[in-house]
Amino acid sequence: MRRDVFQAIADPTRREILNMIAHESLNVNSVAGHFDVSRAAIYKHMKILTECGLLVVTQQGRERYCEAKLDRLSEVSDWIEQYRKFWEDRLDALDSYLMELQAKNKKKGKVHK
Amino acid sequence: MSKTDLNEIVISREFNAPRELVFKVFTEAEHMAHWWGPKGFAMEVARLDLRPGGLFLYCMRSPNGQAMWGRFVYHEIVAPERVVFVNSFSDEQGGITPNPWLPNYPLEVLNTLTLTEQDGKTTFTLKGGPINATEEQINVFNSIRPNMEQGFKGTFDQLDEYLAKIIS
Repeated sequence: MRRDVFQAIADPTRREILNMIAHESLNVNSVAGHFDVSRAAIYKHMKILTECGLLVVTQQGRERYCEAKLDRLSEVSDWIEQYRKFWEDRLDALDSYLMELQAKNKKKGKVHK
Repeated sequence: MSKTDLNEIVISREFNAPRELVFKVFTEAEHMAHWWGPKGFAMEVARLDLRPGGLFLYCMRSPNGQAMWGRFVYHEIVAPERVVFVNSFSDEQGGITPNPWLPNYPLEVLNTLTLTEQDGKTTFTLKGGPINATEEQINVFNSIRPNMEQGFKGTFDQLDEYLAKIIS
């Protein structure tokens, strides 16, 4: 099954989990206790977050803690960045081309209307 | 084809040229070949069929000879003010292929180009958003901005700022 960051944060419960642990690692049980749904359901969300690389569970003594790894969220902005850069570059080229074209036409006395 | 349900990205630029010319340069093969390819790339237009459902198929060849294909499928053409098209990477035959840099995301982008003219200058406004995205991708795009909650300070603050800047 496909696992990527887009899928990870598409679900409101998973976003809420990430919100809870963004600043400090929390005990797995206290995260699960925060929600009205079953622990099993929360563990499943945590598993998906883990598979997507946004969450790491570590054992500390008898407790298990979950820690957020938010670096990968940048994948979302990467797409937007790429789209924008692509068009900005194309429009720069279009601008030069239009200038060139109009200068040429002026010389020839041709008018684009 | 489904309409985009996503927050769109808006790019706007003013050109010192009449609208008819900008439209022409954006829709004719001979002109597209001159500016559409990235800098340093040789641009070849394999096909440009300007009508709803028509295909613009092009190849961009890098200086070391590597070929990258892309396509538009035109949805709506109102000369000289509006072009709606779906852009994607493709193979030589025009079949859709994944984005080579971001393979997970998204295959097709619906673009709406609007041209308006004032005092001999043309404003080029392009709105773009992914289409035929998975439900997850749509959810992400629709929810990411209102969900910039406190917890995501840092990463999400940056992203929020960035999105606010570019999405109107």
